[in-house]
Amino acid sequence: MKKQNAMLIIFASFFKSGFKAKRMRVFILLSLIPVVLMLAARVMETAGSLVADASADFFAKVMLVLYFQLLIPVLALFFGSTIVNEELDNKTLVYLTTVPVSRRAVLLGKYLAAFLQAALLVGGGFLLCFLASALTRLGEAAAWEELAVFLGTALLALFCYSSLFTAAGAFMKKSVLIGLFFVFGWESVVQYFPGVTQKFTIIHWIKSLLPVPPGEGGFLIFQLQPSPALESVLMLLGAGFVFLFLAVFIFERKEYILSDNA
Amino acid sequence: MTAVLKAEKLSKWYGNILGISDINLEIGSGITGLLGPNGAGKSTFLKIAAGLLKPKIGSLTVFGAAVFGNHQLFRRIGFCPEHDSAYMEMSGWQFILLLARLHGFAGNEAGARSEKALDTVGLLDSKDREIKGYSFGMRQRLRLASSILHEPEMLMLDEPLRGVDPLWRIKIIKLIKDYGKQGRTVIISSHILPEIEAMTSEIVLIHQGKIFAKGDIHRIRGLIDSHPHQVSIRCLQPRQLAQKLIDSDFVLSVDFDKDGHSLTVKTNQRDLFFTVLIGLIAESGLEIEEITSPDDNLQAVFDYLIGK
Repeated sequence: MKKQNAMLIIFASFFKSGFKAKRMRVFILLSLIPVVLMLAARVMETAGSLVADASADFFAKVMLVLYFQLLIPVLALFFGSTIVNEELDNKTLVYLTTVPVSRRAVLLGKYLAAFLQAALLVGGGFLLCFLASALTRLGEAAAWEELAVFLGTALLALFCYSSLFTAAGAFMKKSVLIGLFFVFGWESVVQYFPGVTQKFTIIHWIKSLLPVPPGEGGFLIFQLQPSPALESVLMLLGAGFVFLFLAVFIFERKEYILSDNA
Repeated sequence: MTAVLKAEKLSKWYGNILGISDINLEIGSGITGLLGPNGAGKSTFLKIAAGLLKPKIGSLTVFGAAVFGNHQLFRRIGFCPEHDSAYMEMSGWQFILLLARLHGFAGNEAGARSEKALDTVGLLDSKDREIKGYSFGMRQRLRLASSILHEPEMLMLDEPLRGVDPLWRIKIIKLIKDYGKQGRTVIISSHILPEIEAMTSEIVLIHQGKIFAKGDIHRIRGLIDSHPHQVSIRCLQPRQLAQKLIDSDFVLSVDFDKDGHSLTVKTNQRDLFFTVLIGLIAESGLEIEEITSPDDNLQAVFDYLIGK
């Protein structure tokens, strides 16, 4: 069977069944938190409890941090690392590795399904938040351009983090713990280091793409020394593909022990 | 015998834990039973043969090729794992159809193959139920369906009867025997002797990661020269018969059973014993009702081999 066919069969099957998984309900709730917060800000602004444009300010200052530093990495971590680990925990890997389909097609098919699921959660929530914040300027082209940049950056971020955590999940069983340390340790701290050190984080390249003028983003761009946009896009794409290649490389060669060996 | 599966100096361990050690084995067509207690190394052997694990030392080939990373081989191999695992959110139909499509069957053929496999294991009526709603035995049958849907030339079944109800046990045994009769290669692992005995007399005994014996159950029994064979004879004059046997060097002991109509003889030369016994019966005119060999079964062979 052609690799693409097998990959698409696996993608379609796992994309569909993924929405029935219990953890998906948790992720849907998680992705709705920013939407609820944003709607609350909008309602308060409309009711006069907040000053005019407070919801737009709230979006720039809080929502972007919430999405890019919390929701996207965490969703990518759980979706990416479970691509292989879930198969090991449930001992189902045996079914995908004893069919005439390459391991590459198996991993990429599952990766595509997980990425699209996470992208729908992030993109859907993000769109609702944006609409709530930019309600008064939806007729302006600039608002939609802003949205395109936000969404594009969100997808790039999701791609890069998901690929990294897929590789980590293919390599080790406790990758979620390592991933949490990476997201809330390394990424959170090193991004504020001066000079080139912050370029060793993924969040540096993501923030470099966000259209927030220096000095106005407050916490989000604290001590950020942004890299050029094109360089940032290429870095995120390049790193994402390298991590994905690494994930495939590991998955093709590693033997996975499904315990209870007798 | 043309070997379908060939293992040479095959060893595998997990850290410091031994899986299997120095296994040399050839398996051809027909049914072969892999027999040993839990932890003996049966599953490790099958997992290497199914390409799930890599050999640490030595090699294992199926149809002349190494299995790990050789996904094309699975057009010809079917594997039924021991674990109670499946994609629980899928229905039985979705699960089997997915595997049929991954085996390269498209459209109607994938549907027909899936239907046939589910029908064979009696799950066609429950095909639309989610797997998590299946009983343990139903999931076991579903795993069996997943391994036979592409009608492989070689079928490997790891504890296939575990958790299956008696009625389906009989049907599955028949299915496996039919596979063997068709000239396919079937390898079944089990730690339950009667299960294996019901399907084949060709066995491989594994214990502590090593092969203790291989071949027909009776031939294996013959290999154990050091251990006395027991022969139980039911007759009207057991003490008279014992008198005639006791002088022979190959008779090690004679025990009389409580019923007073039978005796059990231990001999270290089974064939010679039977030759002499037949001569004695013909010569003396003793009436023999029954001759049985109580230890000529898998349990006895297995117990002797592992030194119980």
